Amino acid sequence: MEGVTKVFPGGVEAVRDLNLAVKRGEQVAIIGPSGAGKTTLLRLLNLTLPPSAGRLWVDGLDSGRLKGRGLRHMRSRIGTVYQQHNLVARLTVVHNVLAGRLGAWSVPRALWSLAFPQELERAVQALEAVAIPEKLAARTDELSGGQQQRVAIARVLVQDPEVILADEPIASVDPAVADDLIRLFVELAHTHNKTLIVNLHAIEFALKYFPRVVGLREGRIVFDTTPARLSPRVLEELYRGEPAPEGSEPTDDPSHLTPCGPLD
Amino acid sequence: MTQATSLPAAPSINRRLSPGAWLTGAALLASTALALWVCEVRPAQLVTAEARRYMGNFIVGMFPPDLSSEFLAFIVRPALETIQVSVMGTLLAIIIGLPLALGATSTLTHQGILRAMPGNLPLAARVGRVLPYALSRGVLNLFRAVPELVWALMFVRAVGLGPFPGVLAIGIAYGGIIGKIFAEILEEVDPRPLEALQATGASRFHVLVYGLVPQALPSLVSYMLYRWECAIRAAAILGFVGAGGIGQQVEISMRMFDYHQVVTLLAVVFVMVAGVDALSAVLRRRVA
Repeated sequence: MEGVTKVFPGGVEAVRDLNLAVKRGEQVAIIGPSGAGKTTLLRLLNLTLPPSAGRLWVDGLDSGRLKGRGLRHMRSRIGTVYQQHNLVARLTVVHNVLAGRLGAWSVPRALWSLAFPQELERAVQALEAVAIPEKLAARTDELSGGQQQRVAIARVLVQDPEVILADEPIASVDPAVADDLIRLFVELAHTHNKTLIVNLHAIEFALKYFPRVVGLREGRIVFDTTPARLSPRVLEELYRGEPAPEGSEPTDDPSHLTPCGPLD
Repeated sequence: MTQATSLPAAPSINRRLSPGAWLTGAALLASTALALWVCEVRPAQLVTAEARRYMGNFIVGMFPPDLSSEFLAFIVRPALETIQVSVMGTLLAIIIGLPLALGATSTLTHQGILRAMPGNLPLAARVGRVLPYALSRGVLNLFRAVPELVWALMFVRAVGLGPFPGVLAIGIAYGGIIGKIFAEILEEVDPRPLEALQATGASRFHVLVYGLVPQALPSLVSYMLYRWECAIRAAAILGFVGAGGIGQQVEISMRMFDYHQVVTLLAVVFVMVAGVDALSAVLRRRVA
């Protein structure tokens, strides 16, 4: 990313003049208070939001020049797991998982698949990898939050992208499941040699599992380093003005409210 | 006023009506009075000796209803025709309305996450995205603005008497309504799953089939059934202008002063409408 800025209609500047380079196979955690622009950053990275300014290079290609089929092909090489509400609730699990193949399928084939699931073995394998093979034929809105998140991960596995992005994937699941999910991400990315970028609100997981941690605040990068070099003071500064997660003492500076993007 | 001056900062609860409210009220009253005068609303006319005699003749003439097996056998065909006109008309309305609805769905053409416009998009491309939307909305407005009765009159002239002009009239008028409502249903679908589908590299058509339609399906089906309910009422009325079905029989019997036939026909219409209402209520409950 080179000097990328995103201004939403209404003038909210969610991401400001951001420079970030991630190498193939790297595993990066992005942390920061809510409203820091983490979600916007991810939506820019998966090429669903066009930047207002700056350039976004993916594999040597300027994403701003991509359009139509080329853009869709590039998107199919980047998989995203969202915070929540990212599955089509009324479809069965198998179709939500196979939706990962939409980038590769023609529209008639996609339609046909709704009646006769195509490449079913891929969906079965992916659901086995996320440990819920028995939910194949269940309606998606009948699953728990954690199970739905596993379905979303299975969709990314079926998509088989080179880069996996995850936007606070554990925000809507209970803490016991959270650790499992993050470990699942890291292990899957490791075994399949994927680049992994995860937004996290919870610092502990970022420090525990990721070799590189990027701090984001008010749309800017505050630090970009390894967990070993992160001091508590820097973290406190990152979350200044809001109660820090993981139970540390909130600072007494209520005047500092972070602006919130419309979709953050 | 003294209260207002003594408490300048407090938001007054018993504040006076604003001039705008007065004006609106006065305008409403004036337009109602004008409407009463223009429409010649004179309730007394309903109870004049002459009116009473005519209505009396009409009501007395209705009884006994014509329940002769001959007449009952005769109206089976027009009754079925009315139902068929409503089914075919609704089908045609869906065929006409659905593609126009897709064009008129702003989230598929120029707004929202699926069509987020890059800052550097040239003006021509922006216009190119809005144009199909504007065209679809325009056509839908035209189809909707002309009532089905007027469409039926035009088609009776064009293709002659019978059920076919009725089908065309309902198809076009209801196509306009279905197109608009479908577009609005599709626009209101939660965009977050759509964004996730788009992020897999799916095209808009993929997103339509895997995201928009599955999420909107209960509303779409329910509205379709409701339109069918309306269509059977419309199909019965359209017969009056020559578009076949039971309405045409009502019109003929009225003209012949055969009021005991009219009452039988109206009873049949009532049963059909109530039957379709009940059937569609059952179906809608099943898709919800």
